[in-house]
Formats: sequence, structure tokens, C-alpha cells
Amino acid sequence: MSIEEIITSGLLEKYVLGTANADETALIQSLCKTHPELVKEIEYIEDSLMSYSEQLAPPLNNELKNSILSQLPLQTKNQTDTKVVNVNKNQATIKLYQLGMAASLLLFVSSFIYAILLQQKLNKVNSELVQLSETKIYMANALKIQQTNNQTLNFKVQVITNPKFKPIVLNGMNFLVQKTALIYWNAQTEELYFNANNLPKSPNQKQYQLWAIVNGKPVDAGLVDATDSDSIFQKMKLVKGAQAFAVTIEPLGGNVSPSLQTMCLLGNV
Amino acid sequence: MKSKQKYTQEELIILLREKNQNAFSYLYDNYSQALFGVINAIVKDTEEAEDTLQKTFLKVWNNFSSYDENKGRLYTWMLNIARNLAIDSTRSKHEKIKSKIQSTSHAVDGNDKDAFVIDTKHELIGFNTIINELNEEQKNLIHLAYFMGYTQEEISKKLNMPLGTVKTKIRQTLIRLRELTKKEILS
Repeated sequence: MSIEEIITSGLLEKYVLGTANADETALIQSLCKTHPELVKEIEYIEDSLMSYSEQLAPPLNNELKNSILSQLPLQTKNQTDTKVVNVNKNQATIKLYQLGMAASLLLFVSSFIYAILLQQKLNKVNSELVQLSETKIYMANALKIQQTNNQTLNFKVQVITNPKFKPIVLNGMNFLVQKTALIYWNAQTEELYFNANNLPKSPNQKQYQLWAIVNGKPVDAGLVDATDSDSIFQKMKLVKGAQAFAVTIEPLGGNVSPSLQTMCLLGNV
Repeated sequence: MKSKQKYTQEELIILLREKNQNAFSYLYDNYSQALFGVINAIVKDTEEAEDTLQKTFLKVWNNFSSYDENKGRLYTWMLNIARNLAIDSTRSKHEKIKSKIQSTSHAVDGNDKDAFVIDTKHELIGFNTIINELNEEQKNLIHLAYFMGYTQEEISKKLNMPLGTVKTKIRQTLIRLRELTKKEILS
């Protein structure tokens, strides 16, 4: 049988109407796989029948459908319910993700701000640290100076309170009238210390030079340090058998013999 | 409530086997009115037809696993369910009436279908335009073949018409229906 013969044979109508036997059904179905025009013909027949019977009753109302759907066995309803729950779960998951994202973003932003604040604080602390270490260096220096001063003072006190050292007042004369200096001399050990007392600073490019008068002759007893000649307590040269002491003003580095016109201090032992 | 999604016949069958309610909703939207017409043509009572349609769709849903596409079209399968339920319904109604009038003299001739062939025409005219375009013979052929599920051989016997003529006339009627429904779609 050709396709055309099949179509005109009335077999397809039988098939759609449900009265085709098993062999006829098998034949039509196998032919349908290779002949789409046959499928089309079958669909035409089906559509015609449906359109016809659709008109043989009043239009259905929707309530009937709802009634049928509501009567579907519970098991399938559960399936639908589960689906709905799943959708809700998904939405919940999505919401959770969104919330997570928002939280992460918030965390990121706050971390960022916190990092900036920390950086600022760190800078501040760093500069404070620099200041502190500067202060520390300053304090250390100050302490060193203090310690040196202390040592000097201690030494000065030791010298002054030692009965073996004889204090000798050198009185000012010429331009140093009313000024005094002190020397401490241990005649036994020949140790000699010069105390500037209320002496003014030595003039520019000049230096005080101490002389011991031994048997009427001046002997060099050392130069007084020019930088703080107004406050110094200084160890001088060893001096033996002096009767008097005198100070002259000499050029920096001192003189071999004193220039008498610049003599400014004098004291007897 | 109309399903927006479109399914191919194959998809629809797979989804219905999976007990997918959307597919069922689609099935209802596309086939209910046609089946309702068939049922109504058999039971001739709208309320009863609605009741039978409900039973039909619930049966379709519950027994879908028994549908075998190798044995016929989905619509043909559903048509068969609808037809049988409608005929059962009419039969039980007839039997009730029968038992009411306590008629025992009525011999059952073994072919219950006979009872419903004769008084079809008047009931059907109300709802449609196409049916009025068919002649009495065509209406009767459609009724027997489509609504009552008679085989061509049974119709041949019943109408005392050669089998070949039955085949040809049914085919011609369906072609005429196709023209009429096409015309209606176009208009």
C-alpha cells in the first residue's frame, strides 16, 4: 500500500477513532516514523473530530477544572508542595547569599576604614616615637652632662673639704678689681686646682695663665681653659715651694714669661 | 487558569507519567472541551456530563501509567475512557429506570450500544453550528464511529451498508468536518 492509498483507505480514521486492530496500528505507527505527511493527516483527523465534539456541549466553566485539580491524589499534591518549598528554599538560599554578600561588603568596607584609621594611628605613633627617641637622646645627653657636672662637683667637694688643700684667695687688680679667684694647693703632693669663682670670661683670643711665685721668680702653673673660664674648676700643673700665685692675661696658648702689665690677680700663700 | 506553556505530544506524555500537574493542566485545557462534547452527546445531560468528565480526567491522571503510545494516540486513549464512563453512566441510569418500572420482560440483546443510537439528533442541535452542516447520514455515522466507538464492520452491519461504503463515507464526513472547522477558524 502506498502512502496515498493508506490515507484514502479509511485506516487513519479507524486509528484515531480507536477501532484499528493491533496490526493496523503497528503498520500506521511504523509508517509515521518515516512519513511526516502521515502524521499530519492523522493530526488533521484528530483536530476535525475534536473541533466537532467541542461544539456538542456548552463551554466548560473553570470551576470544574479546579474541582478536578483539587481531587488529584495527595501524593502528587505533596510533590507540588515540595516543589514550592524547594523554590522557597532556593529563594531563601538566594536571600542568604544576598545577605552574605552584603555582610561581606560591609565587612570589607569597615575593614578598609579600620585599616585607614590604623594607618593614621600608626603614623601618629611613629612620629611620637621619633619625638620620644629624640627626647631620649636629649635626656641621655643631659644626663651625661649632669653626670659629668656631678663628677666635677664631687671632685670639687673632695678637694675643697680636704684639709691638705690650702685655699688661697687671688684678689683682683687693675681691670679685675673686686673680682676674686680661688686656688687650692696641696703643698705636700704639689697638686693645684684653680677655681674661677666670680671671674669674668677671658677676653677674646686671650687666656688666663697662672703663675707660681717660687723664690721671687714666676713659674708657669698652667693655662685656664678659655671656653668656660668664668666657672671652671680645673686641675693645674704640679707646683713646689710657692710663696705666692698670680694670674696674667696672655694670648691663646700662653707665654713663657708673664707680661707684668696684664697681671690681674694676685694672692699670697 | 489556562496553561501558558506549550508541550509537544511526546513531552506531554513524559511529564504526565512523572505526574506533573502543569502538564495535566495543559492536557485539561486542550482536551476537556472535546471530551465534554463526546460525553454530552452520549449522556445528554450537562450535569451528568460534567460529572463524567471529572471522572474521566481523574481516571486519566490515576491510570496514566497504563497508557501505551504504541497502541494509539493520546486523544484516542482518553476518548475511549470518556466514552466508556459515559456509556456506563447512561447504562446505570437506564438500569435504575428499568428497576423502577420493574420491567423484567425486556430482553437484553447483548448489544447495549443499540439503546442510544436512535434518539441522538434533537439533543445535539443546541450548541453547535458545524453539526447543522452535516446531513443525517453523516451525523449518524459520526455518532456511531466517534461517540459510540462502533467499528466500521459494526456500522456496516447496523446500517446495512457495504463495509467499503462505510469506510468511504466516514472518510468523506471527516473531510467535510475538516473543511467546516477550517472555515470556522478562518471566519
